[in-house]
Amino acid sequence: MSRIGIIAVRFALLAAVLAAWELLPRLGIVNAMLLPPLSDVVPMLGDILARPKVHEAIGVSAAEFAVAFVIAVPLGTAIGVLSAENEYFGEIFKPMLFYVFSVPKSIFLPMFILVFGIGFQQKVAYAAFSTIFVVIMSASAAVESVKAEHLLVARSYGATRRQVLTRVYIPSMTPVLLEALRISMIFNFTGVMIAEMYASRTGIGQMISSWGENFQMPQLFAGVILLATVAIIFNETIRWFETRCSAWRT
Amino acid sequence: MANVSNVTRLRETPAHTAVEVSNLNHVYEGREGKVAALEDISLTIEAGRFVVIVGPSGCGKTSLLMMLAGLRRQTSGTILCAGRPIVDPDPERVGVVFQEASLFPWLSALDNVEFPMALRKAPKDERRRRADEMLNLVGLQGFGGRYPHELSGGMKQRVSIARGLVQDPPVLLMDEPFAALDEQTRMTMGHELLRIWSQTNKTVVFITHSLTEAVYLADEVLVMSARPGRIIDRIPITLPRPRNYEMMASDVFGRLRDRIWQQIRTTP
Repeated sequence: MSRIGIIAVRFALLAAVLAAWELLPRLGIVNAMLLPPLSDVVPMLGDILARPKVHEAIGVSAAEFAVAFVIAVPLGTAIGVLSAENEYFGEIFKPMLFYVFSVPKSIFLPMFILVFGIGFQQKVAYAAFSTIFVVIMSASAAVESVKAEHLLVARSYGATRRQVLTRVYIPSMTPVLLEALRISMIFNFTGVMIAEMYASRTGIGQMISSWGENFQMPQLFAGVILLATVAIIFNETIRWFETRCSAWRT
Repeated sequence: MANVSNVTRLRETPAHTAVEVSNLNHVYEGREGKVAALEDISLTIEAGRFVVIVGPSGCGKTSLLMMLAGLRRQTSGTILCAGRPIVDPDPERVGVVFQEASLFPWLSALDNVEFPMALRKAPKDERRRRADEMLNLVGLQGFGGRYPHELSGGMKQRVSIARGLVQDPPVLLMDEPFAALDEQTRMTMGHELLRIWSQTNKTVVFITHSLTEAVYLADEVLVMSARPGRIIDRIPITLPRPRNYEMMASDVFGRLRDRIWQQIRTTP
């Protein structure tokens, strides 16, 4: 099928979902209390976006996200690179990292609350914690994606340590690291939202949670649309870089 | 070399030594203690010669080549190249062509060829000119902008050869460069390599598993024994140059091939 044909079908499908969202509650096929029609949700999105309280909540969530990201990504990358490059470090920490990676991080949330109390620190700490393992795994996979043949070639042509790093390690690892960045963004976002929804006084996650508890469905769906849009834009931006940097990876 | 004098050497080559290995031994620490990998290797390769090393798997051919390239250190013995010992990789003296997949996939063919010159920060225009020249030499004019994944296996190895030659080293080491290619491409590449060699006057040390390839390419075949690797025979290849495919059907070719095979077969 042609590219344009595929895109047309995608849009048709999206239009069908949106139409169903609008028509099913309007026609009384589903309860409009549970699923408010799209035409009620969209104005509500405009409405909540105009509220100062929502601005404040978005600001708090964004700050938590940013701080957790700045902690988890460099630290996780460093640990990941070290565990792949340093045999001793890898032997000791890799099994533990793999075990912890498999455990759902949300079960540790109550401990974060006990240690940090409810607030900015607890949410940042939890989000960073839930993100760092995937960063470690990806960073060590990135180092392992560097081919021994390529290192040998660089050495045979007299590359210095610095040149090996800049001309072999970095270009080899860039696509994998960008992918790691993208996935860690998803984990981090999820971490912030879970921490806010579980126990929090502010943040967009807390608002969504309370709209749900108070049965304010138009607000809830408006919030969902908002967060979904933000997440998709983030994800696609990095994916665009990823594709540009990895045209050679086939 | 009296028996092959006027036919083998089409080019006037000054008779000086390009590579000299004396009493080289290599022992490595294995799981069960020390393992002798190479034992008392001594050899002299005259400048401009095409020398092929064959031997059973694990005999240390590749180790020897890595030592010639300065990429691995032997336990004892010396390697001289252009009269000076090889201790570290020296791209000015030795170029290396590896097995397949050694090109950097994130660089275009041209950038791959320029890579060794870029490492020593040669001026951009000199690099470009030299790399273009090399791509022309290996028959890839117009392919400089292609990335490795857009090239066939044979073309990739042509780029590797161009990269090995770009700094004009007197010696070119080749570690089973055509092993991953299909039979037809391999034959074509062997022939192409001889053409490139005759145009550049390099000393070539070539490792292969293929006896046909060895006889077809070489001035001289060195046969190595199984571990510990020793040189058990030196076989001058008396076929005239330029070589052609018809020679493969000749009696001489068959006898030379068989002699090498007998040596490898009987090695313990």
